Amino acid sequence: MPIRFAYHPGNAAHSSAPEVDETMRAVCRTLGIELIDLPGATSCGAGILGQANRSLQATLNARTMSMAEDLGLDIVTPCATTAATLYEDLNMMKSDLNLMGAVNSTLEKTTGRTLEGTVRIRHLLQVLVEDIGLETFSKKVKNPIRSKLAPYYGPNLQQEGLIGGDDVFDPWYLESVIQCSGGIPVRYPSRTSSAGTPGLFSEEQTVLRQSATILSEAKAKGAKMVISACTLSHGVLDIYQGKASRSTGLNTNVPIVHLSEYVAFVTGNFPKRLAMLKTRLAVIGD
Amino acid sequence: MTIFSVYIEEGCITCDACEEAAPEVFEVTDDTCFIKSDVRLDGGFDRNDSKSALKKEVINTLSDDIFDAADGCPVDVIIVVESQAVEEKEEDEVPVIEVEASIEVGITEEPLEVEGLDAFLTTGDRTLNVFFGSQSGNSEELAAKLAKNASQYGLEGVVHDMDGFDINAMASMKRVAIVCSTWGEGEMPDNAEALWQAAASSGAPRMDGMSFSVLALGDTSYELFCQSGKDWDKRLEELGASRVVERVDCDVDYEAPASVWAEESLTMLSAIDDSGNLHEELIDAIRDLVSGGVAVADGEDGFTIPDLLAKEIEVELSVFRYNPHERTSGTDTWLCSLKGHTTLLDALRSIQRTHDGSLCFTDGSSHDPCTALLVNGRVTLPGSTRIDRLSNGRPGPVMLTIEPLPGYDVLRDLCVDFDSLLKKRESASVWHVSKTREAVKSEQGIAIGPMDASKAVELHAMSNHAGPQVIHACSDAVAYADTYLGPSVCLDLWARRCDPRTSDKRINAIDATLAGTDTILAETDIAPFGRQPLAGRDIQAALSSARTRALEVNGFNGRHGKHVWWYAWTLKSSGKVNDTVLYRQVLGPLGLLSNLSSGVTARMVTGFTRTGGKMVNDILALVAPPAGLGKMPRQFNKRVDNHHEVVSIFNSLDRRF
Repeated sequence: MPIRFAYHPGNAAHSSAPEVDETMRAVCRTLGIELIDLPGATSCGAGILGQANRSLQATLNARTMSMAEDLGLDIVTPCATTAATLYEDLNMMKSDLNLMGAVNSTLEKTTGRTLEGTVRIRHLLQVLVEDIGLETFSKKVKNPIRSKLAPYYGPNLQQEGLIGGDDVFDPWYLESVIQCSGGIPVRYPSRTSSAGTPGLFSEEQTVLRQSATILSEAKAKGAKMVISACTLSHGVLDIYQGKASRSTGLNTNVPIVHLSEYVAFVTGNFPKRLAMLKTRLAVIGD
Repeated sequence: MTIFSVYIEEGCITCDACEEAAPEVFEVTDDTCFIKSDVRLDGGFDRNDSKSALKKEVINTLSDDIFDAADGCPVDVIIVVESQAVEEKEEDEVPVIEVEASIEVGITEEPLEVEGLDAFLTTGDRTLNVFFGSQSGNSEELAAKLAKNASQYGLEGVVHDMDGFDINAMASMKRVAIVCSTWGEGEMPDNAEALWQAAASSGAPRMDGMSFSVLALGDTSYELFCQSGKDWDKRLEELGASRVVERVDCDVDYEAPASVWAEESLTMLSAIDDSGNLHEELIDAIRDLVSGGVAVADGEDGFTIPDLLAKEIEVELSVFRYNPHERTSGTDTWLCSLKGHTTLLDALRSIQRTHDGSLCFTDGSSHDPCTALLVNGRVTLPGSTRIDRLSNGRPGPVMLTIEPLPGYDVLRDLCVDFDSLLKKRESASVWHVSKTREAVKSEQGIAIGPMDASKAVELHAMSNHAGPQVIHACSDAVAYADTYLGPSVCLDLWARRCDPRTSDKRINAIDATLAGTDTILAETDIAPFGRQPLAGRDIQAALSSARTRALEVNGFNGRHGKHVWWYAWTLKSSGKVNDTVLYRQVLGPLGLLSNLSSGVTARMVTGFTRTGGKMVNDILALVAPPAGLGKMPRQFNKRVDNHHEVVSIFNSLDRRF
């Protein structure tokens, strides 16, 4: 009997990070998770829409979450920002019944829906460790990557209550996944720090310094690759890597993949892409 | 049957009958009768409520007289305790206590023998009398705090206002702590004057059985600095009392030295037994016991229970080191075996005391924000954080990476310079400027400015945090943004902005400051505040609201405003965010060219190490490359199902986009 989840791919998987969506679906097939798409789900707002209008973001997310409630399913997402934003908005409404009432009033008027607040939000990492189990996962590993690998969580996922039994500041879920799949996790201070992604377009110099610190610390600990649980940070840490290095003088040259890509590869999916990645790993470096 | 003790109950009519029957034992005062100190084992001079035993020679020679006095008392308030009623005690008996130091970094020692210490701390008279001489209330506040903390040391703290206190009653006390400020040119505070005159007079009683410690408050700008405290300290010694801790003289910033004095005084006074003897062999054990964190119970009465059973845990402490003279930095690592209830601050103190005296960190009280450190990325007050609370529950040693607070210049090791924050606060003028407004009168006829309760709660939530130094360090961006004033400045400004008492002119000035590039708009990510225990959701929400206001003041212009505005616009248009639109509208042609030359665009197209994806995502890739090529985001988004609902929600709540 497969585990069923309502699926929210996150903000970037439909456009600038299609690999996350592709690998997420493959991972779930392999691990016996059935994903039920929410074709009407909107972007979570990523906290950016909330800067313009907090209740607008909450209402849009209430609409998305009510779709999952209609299916009687919890929501799973590979995007740390989406997981955190949905979780925050849900909890904000559950702890403020006036707000919940106002949101539901607007929602009912505009869509005919209401949110009960029974839905739970889960990130792929939590599902891997708590729902699938590390033992089951390790049995599915076919192509272990036996290298030093740096886990990157970011600050969004590491919120009290969002990530189940993991420690917010000294986490081990991602390390456990790496270990179960043959890798050697490295420990570095900034693995839960922000890469500054929401400020990329407006405070680029600061973001470049933040990103460079994360990458250089991981690299200094001997990591051959970084594995990110956050889709948006993944993009910034990859695309702006060279610019960050030139801006700060730090050594940031290290490959970075998303958690869903990594899990897909080690469980035997997309062997050609894995081969290409390994080739890149072999040629990238000092 | 032999006499063991004698004491006086309430209701003495001071008829002098007992004093006539046994003048060696009883002394009638103005309002009651006291058992003399010469006949008592504890050396006290009071009604002997604690039923302290009488000395053997007194029992042998004066038993009959005591019985006569009791029989002759017309109101029967003299109660003789006979040896059948209590366990017989030897005169010089002291509890047998075996104590070994429990916390030694790097060494796993035998567990603490707590039973003897526990008995010592819980039996007999454990009263600590705290006197305050106060003019402005600071001494009174410190005295109350000291008395409250006394329970952690097995003491029962009792606070006494010096005003109207009987010097004879004071003389009978065994443990005394005095907190006294100085008023004017070396004068006693008003409430201390009478007691001081009595103590300074030639007829003042001896205080041989008393152990004491004095905290003096003052101001170095006055010539006779802390004179009142100095006077008390000197006079008590002249009267025969024993000083257990050297007097501490505090300037106007008294909190840190007062905290150190309180800790030392409570430790030493706690080691004083019923008879007034100091048990030096217990001092370290008491210190260790208390430093292990005596937890306050959840009960309404706030009673304390020593958490003695926390297991020892292995801890790997990696501490950041920086030597400013040699300009070297690195990390020192200690593998320690510590009681789980040891606070992080005590662990650092132990390392400094036993292993590396050069280790620098800011010491202070448990809630002093200046002591804060970064532990595994968590902004932490080390004096109130137990080691076992920092454990993630995984097997193996607890690994703690301890670093100085981010966002400040490091002075040495874990010590940072908060001066930069003070200057930022000053430059932003976070001060309150009131407007004239109508007041109402309270029942007492005092004019007060009314404030809506919900507004008061909102303002309280914004200011109810561990301190600006801590909030500043909760930002992940502040260490990387040179000109950013920091979140604590933004938070204070926003709290002023929300305060209905603030003048309109000041509100406009705050709006202008918030809308600048060095305040809240320079914060790249607000999410870290929500997860930091010393900040939390309320602070995160307040900063988010400040940012919203800043964007509105700017009319959603500039890169910050455009980012938010176009994000909302694309979301309304399709239900999904459109990265291409954001990229183009926010960065503009110059930004795009910059990214083209810096390699960002190339990495985006190729995907670099990101895997998968089509090489051509959009028809526009063929007519207007690089749009739609490789990993470049799509030019157009497909709308979500029932997109009209999204538009309808936007139109209902915010028509700006």
